[in-house]
Amino acid sequence: MRFFHRTNVPFMKYRWHWIGISTALNIIAILLIVLFRGFTYGVDFAGGTQLTVKFKTSPDLGRVRRALESLKLGEVTIQRFDEPERNELLVRLQNPGEEGDFSARMIEALDKEFNASTSAIRLNLQGVDAVRDALAQADPDTVGGTAEARRAHYQPMANAILELRKQVGILSGPADLERAKDLSGAAKRYLADSARFGEFSMLAADSVGPTVGKDLRDKAAYAVGFSLIGMLVYIWFRFQLEYGVGAVVALIHDVIIALGALSLTGRPIEISTIAALLTLVGYSVNDTVIIFDRIRERIKLDRGKRLIETMNEAINQTLSRTVITSGLTELVVIALFIFGGEVINTFAFVLMLGIVVGTYSSIFIATPIALAASTWRERRKLAKRRR
Amino acid sequence: MRNLKWRWLLIGVVTAAAAYFMWPPEKKIHLGLDLKGGIHLVLQVNTQDAVRAEVDDAMERVRGELAEKGFPAVAIQRMEESNGFRLKPATNTPEKDLNQILDDRLVDFNVSRGVEVQAILKPEVTRAVKDMAVRQGLETIRNRIDQFGVAEPVIQRQGLEGDRIVVQLPGVDDPARIKELIRSTAFLEIKPVVSTAPSEDTLLASTGGQVPEDSEVLPGDIEDLEGRVVGREYYLLKKASVVTGRDLRNARRSQDQYGQPAVSFSLNPAGATKFESFTSGHIGTRMAIVLDNRVRSAPVIRGAISDSGIIEGNFSVQSAEDLSLVLRAGALPASITYLEERTVGPSLGRDSIVRGIRAGLTGLIAIVIFMLVYYRLSGLNANVALLLNALLLMGAMAMFKATLTLPGIAGVILTIGMAVDANVLIFERIREELEIGKTVRAAVDLGFQRALSAIVDSNLTTIISALFLFQFGTGPIKGFAVTLTIGLVISMFTAVFVSRAIFDAVLSRRARVTSLSI
Repeated sequence: MRFFHRTNVPFMKYRWHWIGISTALNIIAILLIVLFRGFTYGVDFAGGTQLTVKFKTSPDLGRVRRALESLKLGEVTIQRFDEPERNELLVRLQNPGEEGDFSARMIEALDKEFNASTSAIRLNLQGVDAVRDALAQADPDTVGGTAEARRAHYQPMANAILELRKQVGILSGPADLERAKDLSGAAKRYLADSARFGEFSMLAADSVGPTVGKDLRDKAAYAVGFSLIGMLVYIWFRFQLEYGVGAVVALIHDVIIALGALSLTGRPIEISTIAALLTLVGYSVNDTVIIFDRIRERIKLDRGKRLIETMNEAINQTLSRTVITSGLTELVVIALFIFGGEVINTFAFVLMLGIVVGTYSSIFIATPIALAASTWRERRKLAKRRR
Repeated sequence: MRNLKWRWLLIGVVTAAAAYFMWPPEKKIHLGLDLKGGIHLVLQVNTQDAVRAEVDDAMERVRGELAEKGFPAVAIQRMEESNGFRLKPATNTPEKDLNQILDDRLVDFNVSRGVEVQAILKPEVTRAVKDMAVRQGLETIRNRIDQFGVAEPVIQRQGLEGDRIVVQLPGVDDPARIKELIRSTAFLEIKPVVSTAPSEDTLLASTGGQVPEDSEVLPGDIEDLEGRVVGREYYLLKKASVVTGRDLRNARRSQDQYGQPAVSFSLNPAGATKFESFTSGHIGTRMAIVLDNRVRSAPVIRGAISDSGIIEGNFSVQSAEDLSLVLRAGALPASITYLEERTVGPSLGRDSIVRGIRAGLTGLIAIVIFMLVYYRLSGLNANVALLLNALLLMGAMAMFKATLTLPGIAGVILTIGMAVDANVLIFERIREELEIGKTVRAAVDLGFQRALSAIVDSNLTTIISALFLFQFGTGPIKGFAVTLTIGLVISMFTAVFVSRAIFDAVLSRRARVTSLSI
């Protein structure tokens, strides 16, 4: 089987059209970011506290909001997390501009709102030790003896309960306890009567104070900046400065488009988003380098041919590789986008878009710019000689 | 090829080593906090607290000695901004006595004399005090975590200097409790009670609205017999403690006379002597048990007590347990602020693993099928290289004890996509060479040779950006940079070296090769 056999597409002929289209797209992306939508920053960069909470049943968002706003700590945003039937929410509190343990206060507020009684053992919030100690204290199996002996007796039961919670995410009520293997009948009855299941369990908490937020912002800016410079230097070193310029212009183009898409879709900028952008930078150059490598090879063979023709041939010769590799990488990234889950979704989104844009820009931006830079330099050389 | 045997031997050894290192994967692959659940905290030791305590201590000593000599200071006051204090001695204080006290007691201070004395903590001492506070804090937190019993905790200072501590506790299932446990200063003091009242104003009515110099006001909860908080009481206490947490020998959870959870403690010999001499002289009066500047209880002294005591008041079994733990582990020299928290519950981590594997397998299967259809037997060759790549990647991760995180899984998946690139480059090149009439052997040779520079250059660019990512990254992202880098390095080995060996092995079996399944 074979795609793109002996193609001879005049990629370079319409180079100014493509550059024009891309410039327009870039301007649109920048305008979108600057004038209209800006970015949604995640807690990593904006600071704040974000909880991932799983509810037993579809939660009343109004109540969640009320509970959190009663803390008077700042703006509250609530988002559905993952598939709706999982009843998971991402609740976020804007940072009140100071350091502190806000996740604990948020959980407390939700606990007060959704869980009537506040005493007793909280099966969906507390850990193995707490469950064990509560059982040892109440001693439903009437083991008696020392505290240590009772604890030892109830330890496996507590482990079983926590293991069950780990599997299902939230224990919805006494019926769930039937599935915990090591639990004795008396202990089950005791927990069914006096333990508190509550309406929610906490899946994750992220809290970033202003100091760390600023650190992360600085680091992200440095990482992106330096990796662009790194690429330029590498290609300059391996090829020529003109090619380096072409590759880096293409890169900047890719990053701007990706940022525009992030702004448009309102997806949050987080550390993992920056990771995806940096990967995109690496990938885009990777693709460009393949074409440049072929150009370098052809230049030696095609002495006397015009550079533009050599470049066009190189693109055509590498076309099937370009399409196959990009296609296969795109395939795995799509798998990641679909199956990878919510946590990694924005990451996959950036790469999914980035691979298409990166492949496009290698052919339609990087190479034409490298050509333009080379031509410009040739002309200057000629002009100097004439003088 | 003559050295084919050796190449296969090398491939065999590497494969066996990788399998040995990674098997069984659930034990050998080190999972990050985001996959196995746990808590990552960055906290700041408020070192200024320790500096203030140092200043207070010196101030207290100077005041005490002046009073002892019979010339109590007219005024003595801390200067918040400059880590020092200001002292106005009584006008009749003999110069000699004052000088001696200042020289003896204020070695660590720069002292300037005028109408009043100004003492500023020396900058190098300030630095040392701060550094010490962080180191003690680190030690104390480590003690507490050890006693709590968390497997494989990471507790370290961020950077060599600086006041931040990173705490990583895998598998913790009750983050609220552990955060409280770490943060609680657990500074225990026992102080004589001067008077008590239900509000601050009535408390100070007897002293003319002013807190006496040697005293302080602290709040405490009033509880009923079942331990419920029913009100608040204010205590006027002597500032100087009888004993502090430093005099503790041990602390454990026990019960009070009503069967409610409480914490009992015992004192070391020095503490016991101080405590006995104080209690025997103050029978009938009250002493306050103060924890982190809150009065937990204020029992009446019924007789001389030497080496043990009990702290009562509104404990649950768990909180009594935790308090005895932090008392045993020692007090923090300064308060702590949380700067960053990342908690992942175990169920989310498990979910992430399942989804990551599903995504990875889907992508892998799609690629394997495509390669078979598009390149036929050569595709099979590439697929062997690809699977070997995955195996070697896991082996390398296990060997280097690298941490697999959720972005790390994404890195593995991405590596699968990018690793196949090298094969595609080579195969496309071989096809080109065949097309211009080269023999199969020559085409394979040239294909590998000519594709090499493109493979190396293109992988290096991705590795460069991964290195920047590693430099920048926090835990999970570092995991991504690591898997991507290792994966790409390995892909150069599998796609170039292993694939080549397979081609050579197949081609060397036949004398004349006229066609290649590609």
